[in-house]
Amino acid sequence: MASNATQYNNLTPAQPLDKKTLNKMVWRSLNLQGSFNYERMQAGGWLYGILPGLEKIHGDNEEDLKISMQHNLEFFNTHPFLVTFVMGIVLSLEQQKADINTIRAVRVAAMGPLGGIGDAIFWFTLVPITAGITANMAISGSVAGPILFLLIFNVVQFGIRFWLMGWSYKLGAKAIETLTANAKEFTRAASMLGVFVVGALTSNYGGTTIKTVIPNGESEIVLQSILDGILPKMIPLALTLGLWYLLKKKGWTPVACIGALLILGLVGAFFGIF
Amino acid sequence: MEFNAIQILLVGVWAFIVGIDQFNLLESLWQPIVTGAVVGAILGDLRMGLIVGGTYQLMTIGNMPVGGAQPPNAIIGGIMATVFAISSGLEATAAVGLAIPFALFGQYMITLVFTVMSPMMSKADKMAEAGDTKGIVRMNYLAMGALGLLFALVCIGGLMGGSALGTTLQGIADKYGWIMDGLGAAGGMMRFVGFAILLRIMLSNELWGIYFAGFTLATLIGYIPELSGSALLLVAFVGIAIALNDFQTRVAMKQNAGSANGGDEDGI
Repeated sequence: MASNATQYNNLTPAQPLDKKTLNKMVWRSLNLQGSFNYERMQAGGWLYGILPGLEKIHGDNEEDLKISMQHNLEFFNTHPFLVTFVMGIVLSLEQQKADINTIRAVRVAAMGPLGGIGDAIFWFTLVPITAGITANMAISGSVAGPILFLLIFNVVQFGIRFWLMGWSYKLGAKAIETLTANAKEFTRAASMLGVFVVGALTSNYGGTTIKTVIPNGESEIVLQSILDGILPKMIPLALTLGLWYLLKKKGWTPVACIGALLILGLVGAFFGIF
Repeated sequence: MEFNAIQILLVGVWAFIVGIDQFNLLESLWQPIVTGAVVGAILGDLRMGLIVGGTYQLMTIGNMPVGGAQPPNAIIGGIMATVFAISSGLEATAAVGLAIPFALFGQYMITLVFTVMSPMMSKADKMAEAGDTKGIVRMNYLAMGALGLLFALVCIGGLMGGSALGTTLQGIADKYGWIMDGLGAAGGMMRFVGFAILLRIMLSNELWGIYFAGFTLATLIGYIPELSGSALLLVAFVGIAIALNDFQTRVAMKQNAGSANGGDEDGI
C-alpha cells in the first residue's frame, strides 16, 4: 500500500539524468505491459521502466527510493507507444524532488489523454495504411510484405519513443524552475487536475453493465436502461466510491477488494447478470 | 500433412515470443502478416504462410486492440490458421474459421494471467516498501514468461491435436464459458480498486466537487460516438483550465496578502 509521505527526505535536486540512462529507460518502456493486470493495469511495468532513473536520482537515500517506488506502483495506464512522454516529465519532477502529491497528480493527468492520441496515430492510421498495402504484397506471395511492415512500423515507433523521452524530460525541467516559487499553489492545482482526470477515468474506463431483464408480459424491463435513466455510468461510480470507502474508512486491503470483486463477478456471471 | 518434432517445437517457440510481443517487445511481430510468414517458413510452405497471414491481416484491420477491448485473439488465430491451411490444404478463409476455438482459448489465457497478476500487485507493494528493485524486475519478466508459455502450450496442443482438439475446446468453452465471463466481468471491475487507491490519497475533502465534475464531463462526452477517441483529451483541456485558474488566483491572492495594506478589495 502506498506510503503517506508527502515529501522526500533529501530535497536537494539530484544530478540531471544522462543520455545513457534515459535511453536505457526507453528500451525498458517496450515492456510497459509486462505485468499488466486488471487492478492497476500497467503499474508494474511503469515502475520497472523508470527504475534505472529512480535508482540514480534517489541513489543517496534508500528511504526516498522506497517512497518513490511505492507511489509509482499506483494505478497506471497510458498508450504503450507514447509512455516515454509521461516518463520524461515524471522523471524531471523526481529529479527536482518535487512534492510527492505533485508528481502523482502530474502522472495521472498526463497518462489519461495519451490513450486516444496513440490509438489515432497507431491503430487507426499507421497500421491500417501499412498493413493494407503490405498485406496485399504478402497475398501475392512476396516476402517483402511482412518485412516492409515491420520496418515501417518500428521506425515510427522507436522514433516517437526516443524523441518523446528527450523532449518531455527537458520540458519538465524547464517548467519546474518557474513553478518552485509557488510550489504549494502548484501542488493544489495539480491535485485538482489529477482528481478531475480520475473522475473522468471512472466514467471513461468504466464499462461494467448488467444484463438482467425482468420479464413483464410483452414489455420486459431492462434493468440497465432504468439505471441509465437515473444516472449513466452509475455502476462504475458506485463501485469506485464503495471501494474508496472500504479502503479508506474500513481498512480493507486491495487484495480483499479484488477477492470480493472476483466472487461478485463469478456469482453474477453464473446467474447471467454480467 | 504430419509435422516433425522440431517443427512443432519451433512453432511453440514462436508462439512463446509473440505471446509476449502482443503487449510488449516490438508489439508488431504478433501481427498475422508477420506470424503467418514465420510459421509458414517453419512448416515448409512460406508461400501459403504469406497468403494466410496477408488474408488474416486484412480481416483484422478495423478490429485492433483499442482502448483495452480485446478481439478474439489474433495471435493464436494467425498461427493456427496458417497451420491448418498447410496441414489440410484449406483455403485461407476456411483455415481462419478452424482457428477460432484456439483464438478463444488464447483470450482465456490472457484473462487468466491478468486476473492472477491483480493480487500480485500487493506483493509488488511489499517489494517497493523494502526497496527490492530486483524483485520488481523479476516479477515483470515472470509475468511475461507465463503468458508466453501458456500461448506456446495452446499452439503446441493445436499442432498435435489438430482441428479435432478445436472441436473439443469449443465444447469446453460452450459449457464453462460463464467462468470466463465472470473473470472478465470481475476484471472489468478491478480497475475501480486502482482508482480507489489513487483517490484514497488524492481526494481531499475540498476536491469532491472536482471529482464529480470530471465524471460528469466524461460521461457527457462518452455519449457522443464521434468523440470516443478524444474524450480524455477534451476532458484534460477543461481540467487544465480549472486548475490553471485556481493556480493563478491563489498566486495573486498570496502576492496581495504580502503587500502591507492590500487584500481589502479581495477579501470579504
